[in-house]
Amino acid sequence: MSTTSRERILAATKANKPEELPLPTVPDFGGEATIERFTTVLTGIGGTVVRMAGLNELEETLRQLFPEAKLKASTLATATVAVDAQTPTDVLADIDLAVLQGEIGVAENGAVWLPEVNMLNRALPTITQHLALVLDHRRIVATMHQAYAQLPNTGGYGKFVAGPSKTADIEQSLVIGAHGARSLVVLVY
Amino acid sequence: MKVALFVPCYIDQFYPQVGIATLQLLEKLGVQAHFPAQQTCCGQPLANSGCERDALPIYKHFVQTFSDYDYVVAPSGSCVYHVRKHFDKLDQTADVQHVRGAAYDLIDFISTVLKVEELPGAFPHKVGLHLSCHGQRGLHQANESEMTPVRDGQLSRLLRSLDGIELTNLNRNDECCGFGGTFCVSEAGISARMGQDRVADHVRNGTQVLTGSDMSCLMHLEGIVRRAKLPIKVMHAAEILNGVMVNA
Amino acid sequence: MNHAIRADKFLLDADRTTWHDETLWFVREKRDRAAYGVPEFQELRELASGIKNHTLSRLDLYLQEFEAAAQANGVHVHWAADAAEHNAIILDIIQKQGATRIVKSKSMLTEECHLNPFLIKHGIEVVDTDLGERIIQFRDEPPSHIVLPAIHLKKEDVGDTFHTHLGTTKGESDPQRLTEAARQHLRAKFLAGQVAISGVNFAIAETGAVVVCTNEGNADLGVNLAKVHIAAMGIEKIIPRLSDLGVFTRLLARSATGQPVTTYTSHFTKPAPGKEMHIVIVDNGRTQQLGRPDFRASLKCIRCGACMNTCPVYRRSGGHSYDFTVPGPIGAILSPNIDMKKHASLPFASTLCGSCTDVCPVKIDIHTQLYKWRQVLGEANEIPASKKWSMKFMGRVLASTRVYGLGGQFARKALRLLPHGLTHAPSMNAWAVARELPEAPKQSFREWYAKQPAPAAQPTQPQISA
Repeated sequence: MSTTSRERILAATKANKPEELPLPTVPDFGGEATIERFTTVLTGIGGTVVRMAGLNELEETLRQLFPEAKLKASTLATATVAVDAQTPTDVLADIDLAVLQGEIGVAENGAVWLPEVNMLNRALPTITQHLALVLDHRRIVATMHQAYAQLPNTGGYGKFVAGPSKTADIEQSLVIGAHGARSLVVLVY
Repeated sequence: MKVALFVPCYIDQFYPQVGIATLQLLEKLGVQAHFPAQQTCCGQPLANSGCERDALPIYKHFVQTFSDYDYVVAPSGSCVYHVRKHFDKLDQTADVQHVRGAAYDLIDFISTVLKVEELPGAFPHKVGLHLSCHGQRGLHQANESEMTPVRDGQLSRLLRSLDGIELTNLNRNDECCGFGGTFCVSEAGISARMGQDRVADHVRNGTQVLTGSDMSCLMHLEGIVRRAKLPIKVMHAAEILNGVMVNA
Repeated sequence: MNHAIRADKFLLDADRTTWHDETLWFVREKRDRAAYGVPEFQELRELASGIKNHTLSRLDLYLQEFEAAAQANGVHVHWAADAAEHNAIILDIIQKQGATRIVKSKSMLTEECHLNPFLIKHGIEVVDTDLGERIIQFRDEPPSHIVLPAIHLKKEDVGDTFHTHLGTTKGESDPQRLTEAARQHLRAKFLAGQVAISGVNFAIAETGAVVVCTNEGNADLGVNLAKVHIAAMGIEKIIPRLSDLGVFTRLLARSATGQPVTTYTSHFTKPAPGKEMHIVIVDNGRTQQLGRPDFRASLKCIRCGACMNTCPVYRRSGGHSYDFTVPGPIGAILSPNIDMKKHASLPFASTLCGSCTDVCPVKIDIHTQLYKWRQVLGEANEIPASKKWSMKFMGRVLASTRVYGLGGQFARKALRLLPHGLTHAPSMNAWAVARELPEAPKQSFREWYAKQPAPAAQPTQPQISA
């Protein structure tokens, strides 16, 4: 049944499509690839940027930012829960804080590229109550064009994360902390 | 320059003073416009109702009436937009192509063809400008809020050149008034509500005289203003500009 | 029942209409500020339009490229000709898993196919996990907007609904506390979900990946906790290259809500080890629309909802007045393709002001298509007979100078002489319900002109005064 549907859809598409049109070339529009711009934009959408002189400040910075966090998952900082791809859902559900490596920061929109290999578990970045992404300031680009140009591929799963989970589905009132992480901190070094 | 005046059917019948003001204003600007008596309508009411086929004889009549003129000027951007955009349904003879290109909204004609940017005279009132969608988004006579925060346009520039005038700063600079041709009766409830909201924006911001270059929007807004007995005078821009130049 | 009648019902509550209008206008203003902030915004719209036009012109080839890439990624690809087949495929996947608990993130396609009632009928629990969608699911209502599904509801309405379904305190209407209640409620559903269904914002032919954009994170949470992910997409979701997302991700959220980007832009390429991923590619009328040269550009739509937020008619009539899955201007050009008779009034629910076309991030000529659908409907006799005949009559009158002159004289005379109560009777004159008719002058312009002395009627020399 679905084989015939496949053939039917492809045949109808072929028969009904317009004459071939060219694929436009997308220019690099340039733009401001600065930590200042990145910080302003991310702050505007509910995220926080904390600058560190180097990765050696990470532990202390996390202690100050998340004094209450008990169950922590990370490969970069001290972890209290070991998480991998097989970690059961009920363990993931209790995690307070995940500290993960972000790959690329986008100054125009505050987004950070987070590939699967940096996630420990695909569900971790959204199921954790709070998310901290560590980012090398030299990996900040101006626009999404530049970010995609730098991605070798998108792996099995990966995402741009721009700020904490949020919703405005009730009367357009902005509420931070819908289903995913209630807060997002980007630790730039 | 051979210029014809096109007075759309509803202006001819209900707002003759707008046609007169248009003729006189052009005259003061050095243009003697002719009014070919056989003219009727551009056919838009039919086409917007889904009856384009029935409008074709009207289109043809329009082209025959105006093909001998260099310009066809009308105090209604909506009709001009219709001629330019939707007469594509006719065979594109030289006459049809000529008339489509020759059709001009009055203010567009003054600004683009006559290149008049300011007028002498005074109009010491607070004036609210209603931008017609077909003039603004269709004929590009004014900036669109969808594109830019800069509020500028042909008519606002002309009006601003008058002494003593103050233009109303609206909360929504270019929202549709809700006239929409036959929409005003087929969707009468929404149409009226849109008009009421548009008028309320003018009331809230102090408009004394409500103007525009498209009489169809103004007819609708005037109907709202008069029903609510509001202290706002509705005038076509041609009436203001023509009146100012008499005084000047 | 047509759009005007449903709109009149909405308009009965004048204050609520004001609120609805202002709430959506606020979103439109946010969109404006976001668009003004990107210097190349108009250029991006042109590029997005060009990429989509190109894709449609090679759609069969891109669909096959996408399928091959997805299969190479270990994804199961299914094809559905219509809504029934789409639903059957999804039910089959669910039943093969022996699953009964499904979490679903936003998908207008599954709404279009009426998937939820179908699954429920087969004993499956389907939980919509987007907050707005969950609210209307509790209320058993369809979404009234494609991005803001519960935008027709006030926080008090949501408070009542949550009191009934989630046991929140009676009278609680604080959005923060209501959202928190939904978070707790839905967490349990996410943790228990066996199969997750998502929509698709973009499907990349080059990589076989699907991209899903959300603010809440509900797609990511659902998909990554469940054993099976089913992504449902229309054939028009294809884009050629990963790099094309640079254009679309810069436009989508800015156009939709004025955000610089959605919180999550998630690329699902391969299933996690030990899990399954299915993609259902659906036609359901799309190839037919592709074959309509005047209307195929509607398939460029990326479902941002900007045309709804800007539409002065939509803002004052509400999404339900369209009685179609996708309301507003874009819905009014998609719906007649699906059922011309049922949706015949929608292309007329517009003043053709053109604002929709100007905000559309992929430059669909929406208002021109509305005009063209009117002609198709007119030719197909799907407009009211009275209108059709009066337009035919008008066509004859207005093509003749003499008949036109006589008719005008008669109308003005009638308007002057007849009593106001008769000329303005609401039952006979829809104009006059809320508006005065113009005051009928004694003479028309042409009558005045004919009486002018020669210089005016037969002008001689130009003269410049002042």
